[in-house]
Amino acid sequence: MSAIWAQGLTKHFDEVRAVDGIDLDIAPGTIFGFLGQNGSGKTTTIRMLTTLLRPTAGSARVDGLDIRDDARAVRRSIGVALQEAGLDDVQTGRELLTLQARLFGMGGARRRGRVDELLAIVDLEDAADRAIGTYSGGMKRRLDLAAALVHRPDILFLDEPTTGLDPISREAIWRYVTRLSAEDGITVFLTTQYLEEADRLAHDLAIIDEGRIISRGSPAEMKARIGTDVVTVQVPAADALDRAAEVVGDVAGVERVQIADGAAVVYVPDGARAVAGIVLALDDAGIEVGDVAISRPSLDDVFLEATGHHLQVEEPQPAEGGAA
Amino acid sequence: MQSIATVYFLTLRSLREAVRNPAQEAGNVLIPLFFFAVTVGSIGSIAADAFGIDNFTGFQVPVAILAAASSISASAGLGTITDIQRGYFDKLLLTPAPRSAIVFGRIAADGVRTVAITAFIVGVGLIFGTGFDTGVPGLLVLLVGSFGFGMAYSGFNAAIALRTGSPQAAAAGGLLLFPLIFLSTAFAPKDVFADWLEVLATINPITYVLEAQRSLIIEGWNGFDILWGATATLGFSVASFTLTFLALRWRTS
Repeated sequence: MSAIWAQGLTKHFDEVRAVDGIDLDIAPGTIFGFLGQNGSGKTTTIRMLTTLLRPTAGSARVDGLDIRDDARAVRRSIGVALQEAGLDDVQTGRELLTLQARLFGMGGARRRGRVDELLAIVDLEDAADRAIGTYSGGMKRRLDLAAALVHRPDILFLDEPTTGLDPISREAIWRYVTRLSAEDGITVFLTTQYLEEADRLAHDLAIIDEGRIISRGSPAEMKARIGTDVVTVQVPAADALDRAAEVVGDVAGVERVQIADGAAVVYVPDGARAVAGIVLALDDAGIEVGDVAISRPSLDDVFLEATGHHLQVEEPQPAEGGAA
Repeated sequence: MQSIATVYFLTLRSLREAVRNPAQEAGNVLIPLFFFAVTVGSIGSIAADAFGIDNFTGFQVPVAILAAASSISASAGLGTITDIQRGYFDKLLLTPAPRSAIVFGRIAADGVRTVAITAFIVGVGLIFGTGFDTGVPGLLVLLVGSFGFGMAYSGFNAAIALRTGSPQAAAAGGLLLFPLIFLSTAFAPKDVFADWLEVLATINPITYVLEAQRSLIIEGWNGFDILWGATATLGFSVASFTLTFLALRWRTS
């Protein structure tokens, strides 16, 4: 049985097709990365799968339960940490986790034990009895993650869990997520706009753009699908870019060329061998060449190939106390 | 059973929030008491001759109670909006707790807060010599009625908060009661009103809530007034809770 399954899942807001008929089939115990830039439909998908939004069309099952007909049972099976850490600044961390456990029907010693255990896991024991309003951004994210885990869910939804965090806090979240999957067998549905995060955490990955899934596979499979080296040639004169792509496209061994962000992105089987020919061809054509870089395909190249544009990461304004 | 437990836990959470924000609670008490003092001070001395009311201080106690309920419910509406804006409301919706119970936790807390402030205002009234004609049993009836009215009025503000998500709208919601108070028998009995105002006061449910509370404080047991007050509170509750359910359904659809 799939941990998460969806067919034709669709959400319209008036005329806007936020999610446009996506299919999902996610195996239990895996970390599934849902990669896309802001506004691509990631959060709307997660809100439908977690029963916060009703789909306009299509169907989905989470932990074998229909998200429309068995919504309350779905909520018992899942833990969710949304993009904004949904916390109450007036409560203490311990009070928030205790209330969360009570709402999931946990009582007595079991509840107290679980709250203490989670506070230790997310390194918040010392701050447990302080008002959440005094926590830093990283501490709030860790508490939010603990709240999502309080009832030992089978499936964990994380909506951009590290957006806006500093590198140390980000590393801490990655460590927790990896441990949850490896040691507890929890299925993790992770949306992200960070390529590194997707590459490092996800066993399986889907790229979403304008509400549609446009590529699917493991990060390694996706990169292998490109199957070539990538030579990125910066062309300082913007009006020469189309001509540069044309010239480079005729160089022997070049499989295809894309233009992105003022550069010709050239896909070739062996970048080291091809780079001299590419530069010479451009020089012969009278096109000035800037920096030239050779790389193995990255998820950014996968994203570029699938969407025709680089992933634009939008960082929120740093919040007060954004450190761990 | 799960609904009752959810309401209980979330009521405790809202009450804890109120205790940790004493400045707001002080405002909820002091502003109604200020208007109470000003009204009694300005026309209390002529009330006996003008309206035939000997105990005008006691006559005004219910007005202070309703004004406090209005103030409490406005702050509760803002609290709901804060939860929505912070994402905490979503966090609660993502639990298996019944969604209506999640909303009613805060509404029930408003009922409790209204009871506490009612007791305080009655205490202030007693210090200033209002008396309490129906004694402790009457006080218990008044507190039960205040609990019901506090919840009913909070329901209106919860509906506004859920439907609009706007702090400005929630703050304005708290003011909705004031026109109804002014169009009731808040400051004088109906028989001194102009005809048009008498008609409005007669169809205004606040009039019956006030009359029921007054009967307990300054008249003695009056089953007719208490029944009408309970009916008006029930009507308020049905209307406000229906709006709350509709707003909740809209927000979660």
